[in-house]
Amino acid sequence: MDAPLLAIENLRTYFYSRAKRAFIRSVDGVSLGVARGETLGIVGESGSGKSVTALSAAGLVTAGPGVIGGRIDLHSNGARRNLLDGLENYARATEQDGRVMAVEKDERGWLKHSETLMAGVRGKEIAMIFQNPRSALNPYSTIGKQLVETIRLHTSFKGESEAKERAIHWLERVRIDSPRLRFDNFPFGMSGGMCQRAMIAMALSAEPSLLIADEPTTGLDATIQSRIVDLLAQLKTETGITTLLISHDISVIQRLSDRIAVMYGGTVVETGRAAEVLGPQAQVRHPYTAALLASVPSAETIRRKSYLQAIEGEVLDTIEVPRGCRFYGRCNRVTEAIRENCAGLEPPLGEVAPGHKVRCWLYPAAGKA
Amino acid sequence: MSRPILEVTDLRKHYSQRRGLASMLTGQGRVIPAVDGVSFYLRENETVGLVGESGCGKTTIGRTVLRLSDPSSGRIVFDGRDITTLSRAELRPLRREMQMIFQDLDAGLNPKMRVRDILREALTVHERPSDAEIASRIRELLEQVSLKDSKLANFPSELSGGEKRRVGIARVLAVRPRLIVADEPTSALDISIQAQVVNLLRDLQKDLGLAYLFISHDLPIVELVSQKVAVMYLGRIVEMGLAENIAHQPRHPYTGILWSSLADKQSTEVSAYHDGAARAARGAAERPTWGVFDFEQPASGCRFAPRCPLYKDKGRPAVCTDPASEPQLRDVGHGHVVACHFA
Repeated sequence: MDAPLLAIENLRTYFYSRAKRAFIRSVDGVSLGVARGETLGIVGESGSGKSVTALSAAGLVTAGPGVIGGRIDLHSNGARRNLLDGLENYARATEQDGRVMAVEKDERGWLKHSETLMAGVRGKEIAMIFQNPRSALNPYSTIGKQLVETIRLHTSFKGESEAKERAIHWLERVRIDSPRLRFDNFPFGMSGGMCQRAMIAMALSAEPSLLIADEPTTGLDATIQSRIVDLLAQLKTETGITTLLISHDISVIQRLSDRIAVMYGGTVVETGRAAEVLGPQAQVRHPYTAALLASVPSAETIRRKSYLQAIEGEVLDTIEVPRGCRFYGRCNRVTEAIRENCAGLEPPLGEVAPGHKVRCWLYPAAGKA
Repeated sequence: MSRPILEVTDLRKHYSQRRGLASMLTGQGRVIPAVDGVSFYLRENETVGLVGESGCGKTTIGRTVLRLSDPSSGRIVFDGRDITTLSRAELRPLRREMQMIFQDLDAGLNPKMRVRDILREALTVHERPSDAEIASRIRELLEQVSLKDSKLANFPSELSGGEKRRVGIARVLAVRPRLIVADEPTSALDISIQAQVVNLLRDLQKDLGLAYLFISHDLPIVELVSQKVAVMYLGRIVEMGLAENIAHQPRHPYTGILWSSLADKQSTEVSAYHDGAARAARGAAERPTWGVFDFEQPASGCRFAPRCPLYKDKGRPAVCTDPASEPQLRDVGHGHVVACHFA
């Protein structure tokens, strides 16, 4: 099997909260792989660390201390690059009893170093689309100009007119009506859905190896959301681009992903093929995944007007990370047999079936891992 | 059957937009009919869901029926009393009976006040209870919204999203309202927290007999909580009826599209459920093309015609674009009303 295009290993990204005088362990030991041509969907609630994982991969974490450990390997154009190469020279975390007591990091030094590592990678190898497209586009410049700039910078279409033709080609591919007219539009003259299409065109026009889509439909209207999801699905078949998709919207993740990782409290709690994780027939599930699916109104719930199965409690803030399982406090499937483990020991991500991993003491495989 | 607590008749709210030198000089601007002739009623203990794309006038209706903004014309009757033209002073005693939950979690929560003081302020706005009464009411409110005592000393910035939402609801309940306009009450929350809040709102309705005008674009949630649903398009209600009929036997092509766009990105289970609606909306065409929704150039005749798949399938009938025959809501049985020539 091919090496994955992107392999994240034990990534840790922390922030410091001055108000609470504590470290927020946003991403706390995440390992993920994205194989060439596949779409990996990361789903989770706010604070689960899904977006920060993506931002870390794109080298876009600037707040302190930021990325403090792990490696992110990008295999493209026959070369392997660790995007966190040499990080250990800049950051050192002091731990005691498994808790982070202090982090020393030469943030400016690392940022400078990271910029050299990311040169030629961000924008070219890894392109990103964000939530709220209008603010990601330059309001002072037409979308045509912005596209041409990207194309001339990152591809072999260097001439002004060939780059323009290429830009129009991309506007067509993202199904923007009358692309030649839209070429001269400013972002404020376009609807939110249209801006997102332009954003997608811009990201893809660099012909990247990896597309990171961070909440690409959030904030758009329901009808527009489904058009954008359609578009992403079509582009996926047409271009076969490898995608890291981040969303809190389970339906978007279900529709577009080949594999899915569910995140909670800064860690991956379940990962596997889409059908295994979120499919209606899945047998083995992390209690959090199951509870997440149950909080979305099902046909049955709506028909009977019954109560939604809410997950009690609040989403874990990653300052006070519990000693045992991060979901223990809200879990409704703790049995007496495993309670001690759940409360005191974080379960490993154990393989319950080939390629399907669950971080839960309910599944004996977890213990053996 | 309980009598209507809110009756809205032919409500209009027009905003004038002034842009450019000419309109500055003449003092005349373009008029945007954000709400353009809307009628509905709401009973005690009942939830009416209001759905539609952003910009269709949902929130404007919510604000106007509470007289947070003044209607351009039409009639608003609250509990048998015409409140359309009441002055601010006359409205004041009525304010406590009609409240609004805003989409923004921080709306109404003064960042410099502790939760206890926020609730105390809400309790003392309309009356002068004793300290003991205040303390017991605060306890009651906390219990109603399932919030821990320990949160009373917190500032809003120290609360999670779900807790902020609960404090916001407690604050609204403090004045013992009878009608609550809930404008996207769950859209700023995480999925697991959304479910908690939806359950809470339904419990409160059961206990207190509240009437909700529930504005949201989360269609499954709307279908779950509402008895009736009104679908809006460009400032008008295009279809209204029982929630299950709107969701599963939509008569207006727009309603069908709205629900099918949901099905398109939903899980297999929900989409199987909505499949009927989705197929109905798609009609002969594989997928309706979805133009852009534009207030600035409203179509003459039926507003939806430029985006309507049925209009195309029927070979663009003249009646749809005849300025003299904008489709009006008509009853198609069981109180289900539709504004479409071909429904």
